Formats: sequence, C-alpha cells, structure tokens
Amino acid sequence: MASIFQRFLDWIRSLFWKEEMELTLVGMQNSGKTTFVNVLASGQFNEDMIPTVGFNMRKVTKGNVTIKLWDIGGQPRFRSMWERYCRGVSCIVYMVDAADHERLEGSKQELHNLLSKPQLVGIPVLVLGNKKDLPNSLDENQLIDKLELKLVTDRDISCYSISCKDKHNLDITMQWIISRNKNRK
Amino acid sequence: MMLGLRKDKKDEDAGGVNPFLALEKTAVLQETRIFNETPLNTRKCIHVLAKIIYMINQGEQMGPTEAREAFFATTRLFQSKDVTLRRMVHLVIKELPTAPDDAIIATSSLTKDMTGKEDGYRATAIRSLCKITDLTMLTAIERYLKQALVDRNPAVSSAALVSTLHLGKDNGPAEMVKRWTNEINEALNSDNVMVQYHALGLMYSVKKHDRLAVSKLLAKYTKGGVRSPYATCLLIRIACKVIEENEQENHPSLIDFLESCLRHKSEIVIYEAARALCNLPNLSGKDIAPAISVLQLFLSSPKPTLRFAAVKTLNKVASNHPSSVTMCNLDLEHLISDTNRSIATLAITTLLKTGNESSIDRLMKQIQSFMSEIPDEFKIVVVRAIQGLCLKFPNKHDVMMNLLSTMLRDEGGYQYKEAIVNTIIAVIEANPSSQDTGLYHLCEFIEDCEHGVLATKILHLLGREGPKTPTPAKFIRYIYNRVILENSTVRAAAVTSLAKFGAVCPNLRPSVLVLLRRCLHDTHDEVRDRATFYLNVLESGDTALVNQYILDTLQSSIVGLQSLLVHYIDNPAAEPFNLNQVPITTAPAEVTPSSKTDELITESRKPAVPTKTRQEESAERLAQIPEFARLGPLFKSSPKPIELSESETEYYVRCDVHTFPQHLVLQFEVTNTLDDQQLENVSVEVAGENYTVLGYLPCPKLVYNTPGTCYTLLQLPKDPSLVPATFACNLKFLVKDCDPNSGEADAVGYEDEYVLEDLDIGLNILIQRVFKTNFAASWDEQGDENQAEETYSLYTVKSLNGAVDQLVNFFGMQPCERSDRVPDDKTAHTLLLAGQYKDGVECLIKTRIVFDGVVNMKICARSADPALNELLVSSI
Repeated sequence: MASIFQRFLDWIRSLFWKEEMELTLVGMQNSGKTTFVNVLASGQFNEDMIPTVGFNMRKVTKGNVTIKLWDIGGQPRFRSMWERYCRGVSCIVYMVDAADHERLEGSKQELHNLLSKPQLVGIPVLVLGNKKDLPNSLDENQLIDKLELKLVTDRDISCYSISCKDKHNLDITMQWIISRNKNRK
Repeated sequence: MMLGLRKDKKDEDAGGVNPFLALEKTAVLQETRIFNETPLNTRKCIHVLAKIIYMINQGEQMGPTEAREAFFATTRLFQSKDVTLRRMVHLVIKELPTAPDDAIIATSSLTKDMTGKEDGYRATAIRSLCKITDLTMLTAIERYLKQALVDRNPAVSSAALVSTLHLGKDNGPAEMVKRWTNEINEALNSDNVMVQYHALGLMYSVKKHDRLAVSKLLAKYTKGGVRSPYATCLLIRIACKVIEENEQENHPSLIDFLESCLRHKSEIVIYEAARALCNLPNLSGKDIAPAISVLQLFLSSPKPTLRFAAVKTLNKVASNHPSSVTMCNLDLEHLISDTNRSIATLAITTLLKTGNESSIDRLMKQIQSFMSEIPDEFKIVVVRAIQGLCLKFPNKHDVMMNLLSTMLRDEGGYQYKEAIVNTIIAVIEANPSSQDTGLYHLCEFIEDCEHGVLATKILHLLGREGPKTPTPAKFIRYIYNRVILENSTVRAAAVTSLAKFGAVCPNLRPSVLVLLRRCLHDTHDEVRDRATFYLNVLESGDTALVNQYILDTLQSSIVGLQSLLVHYIDNPAAEPFNLNQVPITTAPAEVTPSSKTDELITESRKPAVPTKTRQEESAERLAQIPEFARLGPLFKSSPKPIELSESETEYYVRCDVHTFPQHLVLQFEVTNTLDDQQLENVSVEVAGENYTVLGYLPCPKLVYNTPGTCYTLLQLPKDPSLVPATFACNLKFLVKDCDPNSGEADAVGYEDEYVLEDLDIGLNILIQRVFKTNFAASWDEQGDENQAEETYSLYTVKSLNGAVDQLVNFFGMQPCERSDRVPDDKTAHTLLLAGQYKDGVECLIKTRIVFDGVVNMKICARSADPALNELLVSSI
C-alpha cells in the first residue's frame, strides 16, 4: 500500500518538476559516442573503449531534466538501423571525429542519408566535432563546410566543436540539447 | 514470479478462462506501439510481451517484417529499469524469429545486463545473448560467458551452462566451448543441484565423441562426488549408453554403479537405475532381480507417477523376462483397481504377459469389467496383449475369442475395431483349431459393421479360409447378406468372396451360381462386372480357368503393368499385349506383429497408401539410365542388397542384382568411409565363368560418407544351367588425397584397387515369387506328365526349419499355404513353392522333407516346360 502511495507521489512530483527528453546519438565508429555518454553521465573519461555492438541505453539527469540517451553503434552493419532509433526523439546528436580526415567524406554521406529519411523530418540535429584536443582537428567552420551543413535548411541544425577528453564545450552542448526539449512549454 | 501471481489473479477474475485465448496477431503487434510512449506503462508493456510469447508458443507464424517490427519495438524497452519488464524483454528477444543481422543490435545491452549487478535478469540475458550471437561476436563475449559458468549465483551459472550446451551444437562454437573445460569442471563441483546437473550434461556433450574421455568421466564421477540426483540420473544414462555402444565388452564397474544407485536416497535416481538395468541388453533374469524388487516397492507407492513409471517399466521387462516379473503379480493385481486407468491398463497387460494358463480365465473377467472405462488407445494396448497371449497359450483360445467377440460388439473407434479384427485374424492363422469360432465371430461382426474397410478385409478372409472349413455352407448366408445390405465396395468384395466358395466347393457351386445371377441386377457397375465375370468363369467348368481367375489374383506389379501398357499404346504392335512380360510384384515384407504388441505408445500410423515396392523403384531408376534402356523390362531385383564388404571397412560396398531378359545388371552401392580420400571413376570389375562383361558404368566421383552407385552389365548365359556362378569382384578407382576439414582434393591422384568378397549368384535370380492360393488345384492342373523329381540328403543343415529356409532362399519362390512354417515337434514336412520363370512359365515345387539326424528330401517340380523341371530338380 505504502509503495503505491509512494509511486503516486512520485508521479505527481514528476508532473510538476521533472522533464524527460529522448535523444539519439549516432555517427561513424570510433568517433567517441559512448565516451561522450560516459562523460555526460559520470564525468569520467576513458580512453580505451570497446566498439559498441548494438546500442547502449543510458539515462542522464541534469537538473530537473532526465535525458534518455540511445547510443547506437557506428559500425556499417548498424547504420541501417540508426533511423529506427531516431524516430520521434527530441533531437539527434551526430558525432564526428574531427581529427579523422579520411572518414569525413563517409560521415557526410551517412549524415545526409539519415536526414533524408521522411520519418525524421523536422527533428533538430546537433553535429558534434569531437577530439578537438588532437593537433590537426577541424574547427566548427571547417566542419560546417566539409559536411555541407549549409544545405540542410528544413530543420534546426547546429555544429559544435568539443573535446570529451578536456571536457571542452560540453556545457554549451548540454544547454543546446536541453533547449530543444519539445515538451517544454 | 510477480508476473505469475498477477496472471493467477486474472485467471480467478475471469473464472479460470485463459486470458490469452483467441489472441489476434495483428492486434497484439499493434499494441507494441505503447512501447514508444513516454512515460512508459510498465505493467501494460509486460502484458503485451506476455501475449507475444504466448502467441509464439502457440505456433503462430510471424512474417519477417512483423517479427522485425516487434523486435525493434521491444528493444526500445531497454530504457526501463524494471526487473520484470527487462526479463520479459530478454525472453521476447530470445523467442522472436528475428533475422540474425537485426538481432545483433541487442548484443551490447544484453552483455551489460549479463555482467551487471542485478541478479534478477542476468540469467535471462545470458540465454538471449547466446541465442542471437554469432561466431565473431562470441569471441567478444567469451570472457563474460566463461565467468558466468562459474558464477556464484546458481541461476546464472545454470543459464550459462545450458546456453553453452546449445552453442556447442554448431561446429564453430563447439571448438571454443572445448577450451572452457576448466570452468565446466569447476561448475561440476558446485553444491547446487541444478548447476551440477547442467555442468555434467555440458561436460558430456563436449566429450561425447572421445570414448576414452567419456570413460574417464564416468570412472571419476561414478565413485562419488555427484550429489545432485539429476546429475546422477544423467550419469546413469551416460553409463547405459557406453554399455550399449560396446556391447561385447564387460563393464562390471558400471553395472556395480547402476546397482549401487538402486540404494540411492532419491526416488528419481532409484527409478532411473532400475529402468536402466531392465533395459540393458544381455542381462539375465537374475541380474535384473534387484531392479525388479525396487520397482515392486514403487508399485505400492502413494504417488501415482511412481506407480505409473514402475508399471510401465515392468510391462516392458515382462516381454523379455516374464518370469522375473512374476513375483510382482500380487502387487500388479491390486493395481487393476487403481483409480488411474493408465496404470490399471498397464498393470493388466503386464499380468497378461506374466500370467500362466490357469490365471487367464480370472484375468479375462477382470478385463471385461473395466474395458468400458478406458479410452480407445488403451483398449488397443489390451487387445494386442491378448493377441500375444493367444499365441502363447493356444489352448485358451476359446476364452479369449469370446472376450474378443464381446469387445467387437462394444462401442469403439475404427482403430480399436481394426486391432481386434487383426488379432482375431492373427489367432486364426496361428492356431487352426480356433478357425471355426474365429470366422464365426467375424461373420457376426460384419452383420453390423460400420467400417467398410474392415468388412472387405473380413470378406476377403472368408473367401480364402471359409471354403476349406468343414461346413462352408454356413458362411454363404452372411456373405450374401452383405450383397443385399451394404454399399457398393463391400458388395463387390462379397461377390468375389462368393465366387471363391463356388470355385472351391463343387457341391455349393449351383447355389452360388444362383446368387451370382441375382447380383447381375446390382445398381453398381463394379458389382455387376464382377458377378458377370465370375459367373462366366464358373459356368465354363474349366478347372484351369477357375483356378487362374478366381483363386489366384493378379500378381503383376501395377506400376510395371501401367508403364508397359502406356508403352504398348504408344508403339502399336501387331501381336497382342503379353501379360507375361509384366514384372511380378514382389511380396511385401511381412511385418512381425510381435514387436508391435509391446508398444504402449500408439506409434504414428502410416497412411495405407500403395507404396512402390523396391523392385518398382529400381526399375524406374534403371529405366532412366540410357545405357540400360534397351535391355527390356526388368524381370527381378534381388530382394535385399548383398554386402560385399563390411560396413567398418574402408569402402563399404553393397550389391543389388537386376535380371533382364538377356542381361544381368549388377548395381553396386559404394560408400567411402575415409575422410581424407576422394575417389573418382569408381567401378567394380567382376569375373565369372560363362558370363561376358558388356560394360561398366562407373561412378564419377565419390566423396566421404556419401554413397555412390556404379553398374556392371553382363550377358546372361544362353543355357540356364550355367546361370549359377561365383564372381570375383574388384573395386577399381582413382584415389585423390583430400583435406578432411575442407574436403578439397589434390589435383592428381593414383589408380588403386580393393578386393571385395565374392558375389554368389544362384538360380533364384531367374525365378520370381508368385502367390498360389490353392496350391493343390494348380498342382493337379499341371498333371503328372509334366513332372521331374529327385532325392537328396543334406548334411549341413541340422533342422527342418533350417532346410525350409534354405530351400525358399535357394529357389527364390513363394512358399504357399503357409508351408514355410514348420510345427515344432514334427520330423517330416511338406514345403510348397510357387514361382514364375523368366520366360513367364509358371513352376511349382513340392518338397517332402524328412529329418532323422540328417535332412532327406524329395523334390518334385512341375511346369509346362520339361527342361525347366529338370533344371530345377537338378540344381541343388
């Protein structure tokens, strides 16, 4: 009985103070998606990660907002499934390894391919150029250029350059994300 | 658990009706939409998942797209932390028929669940993960699986062990599983009942191909260290398998182990050990006595499962060792009144097997009292048991016949009635003194029989046996009643049956003719046709005609006749169609009824469709080979293949002999049992006197363990007396070494040959079996003048039965009027054989065999061809 009451109380409370949002994190393999989630959730940076086989589901609470994060593996076999997990989310975060010049072209194609899906029309996209700390990494403007982000006109799109290692620009990233919460009145 | 409780509650609300009854697949799949709602309604989601699992378990087929959508929707539920929901998600992922490429997406999440802190769903995560994983992923999760094998939590450990067992069924993962022996061994020493059982199962499946390792495993654990009763049961089964596989060796330590298990404190182990001992081959009644006494104790157990298990095993044992089971008779008789009818049926059938002649009357009364209470399938078991009993105690046939006839009159389905009719027929055939009563009961039965199939069967039997009884006239009424009362199929059968009476009994012929004339006005074509035909044949008064067309049925193979007629119509010829060309149908292999009587479980019945005989099949196959197309119709194929080398040797060769009008085709089926060799251009070279080899048709390529066929074509000698011969056979081939794993062969090979055993060919390849219903009539028809005879003494044969078997085999002819069965205590016997020679001439052989230390026999052969008679009698 007590538990039911407790649940009811939680529910009431969540109605007033809590906000939930859902976002999907995609991008090429080894761009730092899972690392990003770990840094957001626990503030810990871990250099050697194993590739994500499939997806990880994490919940991150920032203030009174709970963010459900779908972190999908970037290997080619999973790319066809990105779209399924992007449907209906508050925003899509597209991770790019800014220091990996070779994969940039492929990354561009995957991004535009994903954005062309009719199911995902209008969902805001945040492109993150990760690994800013590495010497020859591209900055925001170069990324916008290379990824031809100017061509995307039908939705809210932004690009930040971040570093999970140095925890650089993570705060503005969070702000951007939270401000895209579609439940917000 | 939560889920279970909730379901129970629901059940009560709905008054015990299954809440999942009549689920609509599309509706349920629609409901998976709620998986995307925020916030998630956990309870509802669990319910929907339960529905999906229920549907899959009910055998509902899901299309690939449907399964895909359901799968991806389900993976969305990983966002909830609810333990019950997560477990359901695991279950659904495991059960859904998802494509492997899609399923892999759950790998990461499942791996996390499996290694996580929440024990509640680690076990289910392991099961699902092992189901969806592939070989490449397996290496990534190998470390976690190995840890899980020895996890402290028994549920997790068990799940890992069982999943590994399933993984090991495929070749790739099996190699990896072999490397986990240390972990499996550790699990084997677990204190948990289930973990130890599963670990033993896994260990055995890893080692089962290594005989030495299995015996080491047994040696180690039969001495002790296995505390789990389930593991002990498994150990018993492994031990039995080892004993069965190496039957010739002695296994005193294993037998000792089995006997020691009879004193185990767990009932399940005791039963398993007792059953194992009872099932072992080559054990005498004395050896199984301890097992029987344990089972006897179980018979009076208050638990119905134990009683059932014990009585079922005893029932089986009673077939082989009736005397050992006799000591349980008292307990078994108590079980006849058991409230569980399955136990009662088994008890009574066991008693029937063990009972002696004096107790039969009493048993029959008891059976009668409870027959009406048991379902049909058990009634059939009882009927079969009675059949066995009739053969065992021929003197008691009247009591049992009475019982059978009462049962025949009672309510029952077709299979039950069929079983009774078959039993009565079997009894009549085995025991001539019961013939009169048996036939009478069957007549009574067809007076009110709703099954046309059974009625025609009985009418056929009446036609065959009725005329030979002392008073054939009394059957006529029953048969003619059928003509008046039944449907057309039965009427036609009755007409045939009537005609047989007319053919055999001259004094009845005028009355039969009158009855047949009445049938001419029947409404059905078939009945009228038959009546007209028989009427004309009978009125002709020609004995030969009567014998040939009424008593002997058409023996040509239907398939062969059809193909020849088609050929005849396509290629019109001046001369009329020759029926003698048509290959004769080979006798269907007789099913030994004794093995069936013991089976409790009604085996899946094969539908009675006309199947092609062996000969018809090989005729078709040979006709498709262009080289053999011009040989003419196939006359005879050897009834079973002759082995030219033993199955354990390098090359296993079996030979079928096919006889054509002028030629002989030897068909060799060769199996290569060496996995590091590939044979090419395989043929069998034969050499024998009087035969010329016309050609070889080699088998182009023979890979490991796949049988291939090659042929050798021979010219038959013109003189039939030169036909019996012995051939020296030599297998010739080109060997190429190959890699046993990949199967790739070297480019070059070398010629080799392999000497096979000699192939003996006798006169029997020229003679086809023919059934003669009335041998005496056919014999007289041929007359004294067409006879040749000879007298022989056989010194190698030591019994009448042996002599009969040898003669039947030698001539390849059909024993008539059951003369191949020799009564036990006789010293003289007459064997009647009928056959058809290659050119279509019918031949008959009557052999009088006398046994007084040596076998003396007089062979008389009759046929239209004097040379053939001489050939037959002089061939031995």
